Amino acid sequence: MKSADDLPVRVITPHDGRDAFLHAVTSLVRDWSFTTNLAWRMFRRDTVAQFRGSFLGWFWIIIPTLANSAVWIFLGSSVISIDSGSVAYPLYVFVGNLLWTGFSGCLLGGLGVLGEAQGALSKVNFPHEALVLVVFGKSILNVAVTLLALPLFMIIYPVTWHPEILLFPIGLLMTMICGLSLGLVLVPVTALFSDLSRAIQLGMRFAFFLTPVVLPLPPSGFARTLMLWNPATSLIVASRAWLLGGEHADLLAVSCISIVSILVLLVSVLAIKIAIPHIIERTAGG
Amino acid sequence: MCVNIAVNISETGWGPEGMPDEVLIKAENVSKKFCRSLRRSMWYGLHGVIGALNPFSIAPKGGDLDGQAMEVELRKDEFWSLQDVSFDIRRGECLGLIGHNGAGKSTLLKILNGLMRPDLGRITMRGRVAALIELNAGFNGLLTGRENIINQATLLGFSKQELNSRFDEIVEFSGLHQFLDMPVQNYSSGMKVKLGFSVYAMLRPDVLIIDEVLAVGDVAFRMKCLNAIGDMMRTAAVVFVSHSMPQIFRVCSEVMVLDQGACVYRGRNISAGVARYLDLATNVGHQVTGAGTVHVQEVQLCAGEARAGIGQTLEIPHGAGFETVVMLQARQPVGPARLELLLWNSEMLPVVEMMTTELVGYVFEFDSQLRAVVRVRLPKLELGPGVYTLCVIVTNPDHSLVHCRHDCLATIKVLAGSPSGACVLSVCEWELL
Repeated sequence: MKSADDLPVRVITPHDGRDAFLHAVTSLVRDWSFTTNLAWRMFRRDTVAQFRGSFLGWFWIIIPTLANSAVWIFLGSSVISIDSGSVAYPLYVFVGNLLWTGFSGCLLGGLGVLGEAQGALSKVNFPHEALVLVVFGKSILNVAVTLLALPLFMIIYPVTWHPEILLFPIGLLMTMICGLSLGLVLVPVTALFSDLSRAIQLGMRFAFFLTPVVLPLPPSGFARTLMLWNPATSLIVASRAWLLGGEHADLLAVSCISIVSILVLLVSVLAIKIAIPHIIERTAGG
Repeated sequence: MCVNIAVNISETGWGPEGMPDEVLIKAENVSKKFCRSLRRSMWYGLHGVIGALNPFSIAPKGGDLDGQAMEVELRKDEFWSLQDVSFDIRRGECLGLIGHNGAGKSTLLKILNGLMRPDLGRITMRGRVAALIELNAGFNGLLTGRENIINQATLLGFSKQELNSRFDEIVEFSGLHQFLDMPVQNYSSGMKVKLGFSVYAMLRPDVLIIDEVLAVGDVAFRMKCLNAIGDMMRTAAVVFVSHSMPQIFRVCSEVMVLDQGACVYRGRNISAGVARYLDLATNVGHQVTGAGTVHVQEVQLCAGEARAGIGQTLEIPHGAGFETVVMLQARQPVGPARLELLLWNSEMLPVVEMMTTELVGYVFEFDSQLRAVVRVRLPKLELGPGVYTLCVIVTNPDHSLVHCRHDCLATIKVLAGSPSGACVLSVCEWELL
């Protein structure tokens, strides 16, 4: 047994501002290996449990994206005319939906990051950034499983090889990080008041149409302006262009949005760490 | 649990005398406020979050405790859930935290566990902290016992190597070998707690926080838990919350009584602390059940000059006798009836039943006006210090019908100078042979 002088000391005081920020940074770095280990266990726990409760299991991951794609492929082929340029529309829709799944999954997952762990949150002290990793892991799993259907589409609608294809995974990852950062940045507020997260969940339905997921960027008009203001637009358009060609990838916009997303993500994680004692205090009984 | 603090100290060699700086938990003037209104609470919470995120905001420093005295003001609907609480606990010592629901115990534990931050004051803790608050928080019902053990151990900070080397020990402790591959949702609640506790039992913390977790599981497992906690306590500084006074007596070296967030007693005289806690008990009011064919009209307790009626308290010294007069009124002719008088302790256990020489209740008949007045004398009440409530039951002689049952009719407070957690203090004859 160590003597008291050798033991790690923990001081708990009211702390705000700079103190809280420094504390969040040091504990983030100090606990990192524990955090990743814990996140991996939590991710496995939730994933395994999710599929154990159903017969079709993993199949349910891929179904929503395929179903949504099927609807638009049907609409695009027989109801409305959509110009997807040189790319076959079904492939265009599927890849668009895949990217959207990654973006919206990360955004909504990020928003609900504390909700899932409500039980343990007020009982056990653990590094909460593990929850962020879990959310991100789950979204990656969803996208990865959906990605399995991509070769099928690419066989039916062949795509000629070009080196930009190699950039697609980066584009996909950045699209997801952008979604995650947008979700997480609001958590300190949405954990206290559910209004904003409800509004965002509703808004995501409109956002689907304000992002060139199934409909290409219009050449002009108000809708185009609105879409260009949407941070997901450049990322989704560029990622799809890298994989399939046809659209114009705006490298400057993609780089800027990616850098800002990563910064926002880091700041959000720290902000959540700082805000969490306040959130536990208000949402869990005394 | 045979935790004799004095023995532990000598066993481990970590005594307050030997190592004066072995204070592992030090709380200085800790205060925390809460808000009664939910919406306003959330609003204040948002202010708190914004304040915490603002790099230029300065919180009241925990360091300069003198300067900050209560400078944080209560806003509308706020109250002090914890007010100016200070204590320090050394290795091998156990602080019992007692108080009624809402007294601030859980708030203090959450602050100690690092889940919340105080509004004022400072807590310094040394070493590995373990909090036994809710043992199966983080369980997933769809996963097997085996998987949940691994998850729980990771959540509590076990490394992979630690877990691999102790996994069998955890399973052994839980005694759930044959259910290990069954989903936890099919476990009984007792089994879940066993599984949860088994992981905690492997911890070797320096600071141990225990919140009311011992009231679960079957008797054999409970003893096992108590032993495991006893082992942990031997080398840890412990904060122990319980509503069970016998447990407090058995485990704690010091008690702190909280009332509405403030410390109203703190000291090493456990019985004085427990007495202070029992004093805080608000009168629960008397409850009537049964067929209602008979009614208790009046009760008179008297011991010497002291008198007490329904809803009142009779204070008597240990070993004194007292007299009870019960006035009964039947609503209809009921024939012979049996009267039973019981004293319940604060743990809700019946500790004394007043009986006849045949060791049964007193059988009597009502008069022509359907009234009966019964007097019973208890010559010597040897109960330990504490508060006891009187319960009157009127039944048929064969117990086939309960005419009426009045709980908490009146209170008897036994005063005794000596500190003890025992129910009965017997005066015995001693001699040295």
